[in-house]
Amino acid sequence: MTAKNEALSTQRPISKPKTMQVKAVLAALSIDTLLWAYTLLVTYKIVYQKLFLGLRYPDFGWDQPLIALGIGFAVSLALFFTKLSIGRASQGLYQLDDNKHIMKEPFIYFGYIVILLTFVAAYFVSQVSIREFLSESGINGAKRIFTALFQPNLAILEEAVFAAVETIYMAFIATTVALPFAFILGFLAARNLMDGSRISFTIYSLTRFFLNVSRSIEPLVWAIIFSVWVGIGPFAGMLALCLHSVSSLAKLYSEQIENISNGPIEAITATGAHPIQVIWYGVVPQIVLPYLSFTIYRWDINVRMATVIGLVGGGGIGTMLMQYQGLAKWNEVGLLVIVIAAIVWIMDWSSSRLREAIK
Amino acid sequence: MSEMILEVENLQKVYPNGTHALKGVSFDVKKGEFLVVIGLSGSGKSTLLRCINRLHDPTSGSVKFEGTEATTLKGKSLRGLRTRIGMIFQHFNLIPRRTVMTNVLSGTLAKRPVIKSILGIYPAQDVKKAHEFIKIVGLEGKENHRADNLSGGQQQRVAIARALMQNPSILLADEPVASLDPATSHSVMQYLKKVNEELGVTIVCNLHFLSLVRQYASRVIALKDGLKIYEGEPRDIDENWFQTIYGEDAVEVTID
Repeated sequence: MTAKNEALSTQRPISKPKTMQVKAVLAALSIDTLLWAYTLLVTYKIVYQKLFLGLRYPDFGWDQPLIALGIGFAVSLALFFTKLSIGRASQGLYQLDDNKHIMKEPFIYFGYIVILLTFVAAYFVSQVSIREFLSESGINGAKRIFTALFQPNLAILEEAVFAAVETIYMAFIATTVALPFAFILGFLAARNLMDGSRISFTIYSLTRFFLNVSRSIEPLVWAIIFSVWVGIGPFAGMLALCLHSVSSLAKLYSEQIENISNGPIEAITATGAHPIQVIWYGVVPQIVLPYLSFTIYRWDINVRMATVIGLVGGGGIGTMLMQYQGLAKWNEVGLLVIVIAAIVWIMDWSSSRLREAIK
Repeated sequence: MSEMILEVENLQKVYPNGTHALKGVSFDVKKGEFLVVIGLSGSGKSTLLRCINRLHDPTSGSVKFEGTEATTLKGKSLRGLRTRIGMIFQHFNLIPRRTVMTNVLSGTLAKRPVIKSILGIYPAQDVKKAHEFIKIVGLEGKENHRADNLSGGQQQRVAIARALMQNPSILLADEPVASLDPATSHSVMQYLKKVNEELGVTIVCNLHFLSLVRQYASRVIALKDGLKIYEGEPRDIDENWFQTIYGEDAVEVTID
């Protein structure tokens, strides 16, 4: 027995820990280098140039981050074996003292400094200005708009409700058209179903790539593309929503498939069933309800998105909002805002009720 | 009695993560036997059963089922092999949110056209047969209950009925009572015994409890670390063998 075990272990020499160690040290060093370079760069640009010299538009050259990286590397090398190294801490290379609380370790204090610097930098980058926020002319302008908003023009209520209905229908058709595509793509993007052979894994990777790319392009951008393609109106908005829904739903669906239990699949396979039957009987019953819930939620999201998409010519209440806002007709805008709020509230409430009911 | 239904020879299985689950196991199963496989968790019992109906592909070795080599089958002929081998599982593995009837009928999927089975159309004689098997496992009147609402023992009986729908010549049972209480365990084992004796289905069953082995098995093999270390009659397993199989410190627990 033991002889057999020894034979087995000699077959595969245990060299893993050493390469792991080298990898961890390299990772730790690069984390440290990046952190120090960031600290130095931010200190120089914000604390020195903006705060100390008071420059409004400090000059920028690509040599600055490169120099920062170089100095950062030197500093992190010098401090690598001190307790200031966050990289070593994150890679688990420290022998931590059990009696000392982790928040009292030196590298945690370095972490605080980095966060504080980021806060200061963010404050300057966002051009936060209390003076502008409280300026008299600004407040007067805001007052004018707010008074108008709170006196909505009820004369356009009928028109607004029609536009709202258009938005809801647009979101509905976008969701339903997206559904079958997302359903099929969901299977193709589920790793546990697709890692069987090289061909299926290639399909999986391509599907994932397509979904990630189309999802990372905002529906707003798609709406602009489609409004050029098919003309301004609800159809362009619907196409944009549809495309985005396909990729988001397919992603959610595939994650659901990846989380199902393997048991029923195994059992149906063991009966000798065809792979399609295995999916229909082993996979589908486990995913139907979560799918339905995702889909209803997606419709809810689409109604909200349809409003935004209307702003760039996707039709519906968003387009109407943009037109009145362009004419500075704030009383009408006020009414539209109320109608949009009402739709969002109703959709939110009813979709959560529906999703609870089918649980 | 002497006709072999299953001949396993020098079966080896290495998982992609490097686990050597089976290190050359050989045994034969005669028609009509109730063979029990015992051994610790991780000794390779489940892998062994799954290599027989090819839920897992063995790395090397041969499995002959009714004279045909099973390890090289592919596609349609592999599915054909699986239809003649029923299987039940520790966690029952029924289709959730579906009725007992649908679950039992899913045993006939292999001989139904894909389209018809997706639409849920089953021939009357299959439905009639399903009713019979549901009656045999004592679940009459529960046909339209949701399978996942039944108790553990009842779910395992649904699984037995589903396997019987395949009209199998052999039934693999992977720790069928491991997640059941003692009383229910006996009831499920008795149904397996009934299937074995009355329907003449050969049974290969993984078990933990020696008391169950002595009561139900006609023959026993024991696995340890992927190797067969014992083969024989259940009544011949004495204290010494028990400690070889389960380790020095093991104490036998009975279930009754």
